[in-house]
Amino acid sequence: MSSSTSLGRRASALGPGLALLCVLLALIAFLSVTLGSRSIGLPEVLSALGSMDADASFNSTVTLELRVPRTLIGILAGAALGVAGAILQGVTRNPLADTGIMGINSGAAVCVVFAITVLGVRGAGVYVWFAFAGAIAALVLVYAIASLGREGATPVKLALAGAAVTAGLASVTTGVVMTNVDALNELRFWQVGSLAGRYAPILAGVAPFLILGLIASLAFGRTLNGLALGEDLARGLGQHVTRTRVAAFVVVAVLAGAATAACGPIVFVGLVVPHVARFLCGPDYRWILPYSMLLSPIVLLLADVLGRVVVAPDELQVGVVLGVLGAPAFVAIVRYGRMSEA
Amino acid sequence: MTATTTVSTTGAFRAIRRRRNARALVVTCALTLAVGALFVLTMMVGSFQLTAGEVIASVLHLREDPSVDFVVRGLRLPTAAAALAVGLALGAAGTIFQQLLRNPLASPDFVGINSGAGLAAITGIVLLQAGGLAVSALALAGAIVAALLMYVLAWRDGVAGYRFILIGIGAALFFDGLIGYMLTRARLNDAQQAMHWLTGSVGQADAAELRLLLAAVAVLLPVALLLQRQLRGLELGDDAARALGVRTELSRAGLLATAVVLTALAVAVAGPMIFVALVAGPIANRLLGPATGGIVPAALVGATLVLVADLVAVHLLPTPLPTGVVTGAVGAPYLLWLLATTNRQGAGG
Amino acid sequence: MRAWRPILAFAALSVVLAGCGSAETGGNAAGTGTAAASAAPAGPWQFTDGSGKVVKADKTPTRIIAHAGEAAALMSFGLKPVGIYADESVKTDANLKDLDLTGIEILGEEWGKIDVEKAAALRPDLIVGDWWPAEKAYSGLEEGADEKSKKLTELAPIVGVAQGKSIVALAKGYEDLAKSLGAKVDAPEIVAHKKRFEEAVTAFKEAVAAKPGLTAAAMLPADDKLYVANPEYAPELLDFQNWGLKVINPDSPDPGFPYWENLSWENADKYQPDLVLYDGRSYKPTSNDEWGKKQPTWFKVKAAKAGAVVSWPAYWLHTYEDFATELESLTAAVKAADENIGD
Repeated sequence: MSSSTSLGRRASALGPGLALLCVLLALIAFLSVTLGSRSIGLPEVLSALGSMDADASFNSTVTLELRVPRTLIGILAGAALGVAGAILQGVTRNPLADTGIMGINSGAAVCVVFAITVLGVRGAGVYVWFAFAGAIAALVLVYAIASLGREGATPVKLALAGAAVTAGLASVTTGVVMTNVDALNELRFWQVGSLAGRYAPILAGVAPFLILGLIASLAFGRTLNGLALGEDLARGLGQHVTRTRVAAFVVVAVLAGAATAACGPIVFVGLVVPHVARFLCGPDYRWILPYSMLLSPIVLLLADVLGRVVVAPDELQVGVVLGVLGAPAFVAIVRYGRMSEA
Repeated sequence: MTATTTVSTTGAFRAIRRRRNARALVVTCALTLAVGALFVLTMMVGSFQLTAGEVIASVLHLREDPSVDFVVRGLRLPTAAAALAVGLALGAAGTIFQQLLRNPLASPDFVGINSGAGLAAITGIVLLQAGGLAVSALALAGAIVAALLMYVLAWRDGVAGYRFILIGIGAALFFDGLIGYMLTRARLNDAQQAMHWLTGSVGQADAAELRLLLAAVAVLLPVALLLQRQLRGLELGDDAARALGVRTELSRAGLLATAVVLTALAVAVAGPMIFVALVAGPIANRLLGPATGGIVPAALVGATLVLVADLVAVHLLPTPLPTGVVTGAVGAPYLLWLLATTNRQGAGG
Repeated sequence: MRAWRPILAFAALSVVLAGCGSAETGGNAAGTGTAAASAAPAGPWQFTDGSGKVVKADKTPTRIIAHAGEAAALMSFGLKPVGIYADESVKTDANLKDLDLTGIEILGEEWGKIDVEKAAALRPDLIVGDWWPAEKAYSGLEEGADEKSKKLTELAPIVGVAQGKSIVALAKGYEDLAKSLGAKVDAPEIVAHKKRFEEAVTAFKEAVAAKPGLTAAAMLPADDKLYVANPEYAPELLDFQNWGLKVINPDSPDPGFPYWENLSWENADKYQPDLVLYDGRSYKPTSNDEWGKKQPTWFKVKAAKAGAVVSWPAYWLHTYEDFATELESLTAAVKAADENIGD
């Protein structure tokens, strides 16, 4: 009862907030289509977007075939990583849970590199499956190992298990890659999260999974609220805790795997954005999830645009920009977050 | 009545301590022998098979045979010495970190020290085309900056182990991201050199870097031993240590500095070879039984690990790989096992 | 300064070879692969190499260890080295992949990694590697190579022809070196190779002269960028320019690495040549179409869209024979090209 009244009270403020974020996202998406290493005038961008004819001129090719797919990938992948982080933090009741820190993104990335270089797989529609496999394998491994022992999956253990899995995978990958220069080149491209060079074929390959995953994720709001009260209480409320957890992990793996298949391993977005969302709308996951879904692509696209502007005509990869911006936020969460010491 | 119990417990304590010391001595001697044997063995195998006698005679200048001397002193001794020194340095640094932060998971390779050193060195290789001692200097600077940064960030009424580790992991992620960026900036040729360096290999060291590390190990290992008494004090917990009159923060800083310098120089010589620092201490403790925490046994275990990993990497595998690939492939499962079995204290610090 | 080496010098880990040398160094020189050189004059021998250093020996060297392309150059004059060190697998190295290497010890197949122990067992009396004036180093022994590998130079004197402004000069340099080592450079098959090369140059010049409006640009598409080669640092492109082909000089090469100008894909239309010279080290017949699918703006280079793309032997040529083969395919491409497509 009380939760629904608070929901009603909040809805009056949070609903419009959501609309505001939509407007903000649209603005930044437009900025991302307008800015690039080639300067294209606003009228030309608008006419290209109006005509949707990529062959009209070189500038419309750049706008429609380079910048629009890149922006769309940024929006979808950003939303996916933010929501995946929020779900993980809810399910594990752990403020440091994040697909990047838990090694899930690097698990997916390693499998993508392996598929491309060793198995010769081409096309995002095919290697996205390898990304799922890598993501789910890393997630299960890390979570299982961190949960062993009496105290369960503590933040430190989750982070360390993630680091260990990442480091072990990196060792094996290096062993494979050192013997093959083409593979080394491919790895360099995949090692840093970036939106550069990601166009329509990759978008087409991953978009269905991302969209399905995002829709599915919105169904978790209520169950995550239940879990937040503790496993026993959640069970008392009639929830199937284990079933929830398995379903949540599958959704997380799909979101993180597809996002990584699209733009490589990106850390910190999924960690920081849910905290901001929680700060804005309180502990209710029915609001945290949609807020994360809109805030994350805003952050990701902003970082991407920033990376294109600060060192122009060269480009900073979005993963690097987010690393630089995200590390202080991470430190702040560790220092000031009310985290159980165990 | 009380007097007799005191006497008998003191006697029991003495007996236990004597037994402990004896075991520590035996283990240390055995490890020294093993390291010595491996050191000679690495110099025996290769395109020329040499006998132990030939190797020892050549190293000690007992016999002059130009072709054997060229192979042993010119080619194999620098690699073997690098493996030995890197192992000693990483083993000692790892156990110091673990004891200082009272957490078996806190080793320099996981709290961002290696990544900081790596980032500085890679930046030098890629942007400044640095080589030789300049790379060493950069790695050292990077490690020190990373350690200071983490110390400052983790400091809040003292350095709590778990906070230091978490911040270290965050910093490692941050540095690794920048390393990835540097690699994409690199020409492929440089990238291959950088990757090779990043994985860790003992065969690449140049003479000046190696001499620097050997000197550092010779000086800093005794320093670390002297500080070990204080380390023991710290192990009792900050309050107890304060009561013993140890100025805790200062001692911590001094010990950390020793460990950081050892790590940085080892990283400069062989690249950020992962997991050696992590596993050396716990293995040594298992061998020592109750007399845990010896820096010398941990250093010797580190040397054993690197020498064995190098033998495996270069001579046993079908294609020679960087030593770090072997330590990484063996170390990661060990870390996961460690995580799965640590107790509450271990995880929480 | 390894960075002054062209990018993409493909390399691979060395393969462990069966059959190692023995430590016992008897004076017996009856090794493998010295048949051709055994007819060498007795000496004394001397050679002025690319660094300006004069190397002298009492006896003409016969047991040579050479870097990949340099070994191919010596072999084209009938001199078989006893050992080769390469920057990549000898099965993929552009200079070595079609040569019969039986009886030659492979001492390294990765840049910076040379098995000096094995090299010592070969008891070489000469090491041959290109001299790189900008880096002041010989091939495979530049800054950043393993310290252990650099000990190769302690085994025997090292000589090399300077990498400069022309492949013709480089090939001539190795002809001189081979001659000093006793190769019969006037043997009929060797003369035939040189003649074929000269004919190829004549045909190339004629084809180029017939299309005065034709321009070419040397390019390499990559995931993140499109690279345009700077002829200033590519001796074979300078040779093409000398023979009349208008190879475009990019106007703003990367200051840190002037071998190339880096174009972002958004600016891929900056240069519009009539013929694309595609970096031969990664060129496959399918490459052009693959990049057309992968990068929406690659086919905005009109010559690429029209399929006027030909492999360019980037940075590896050492012999008259290889140069002749490459020139013949280039001549065909020039003849087929439309000199108005890029305008």
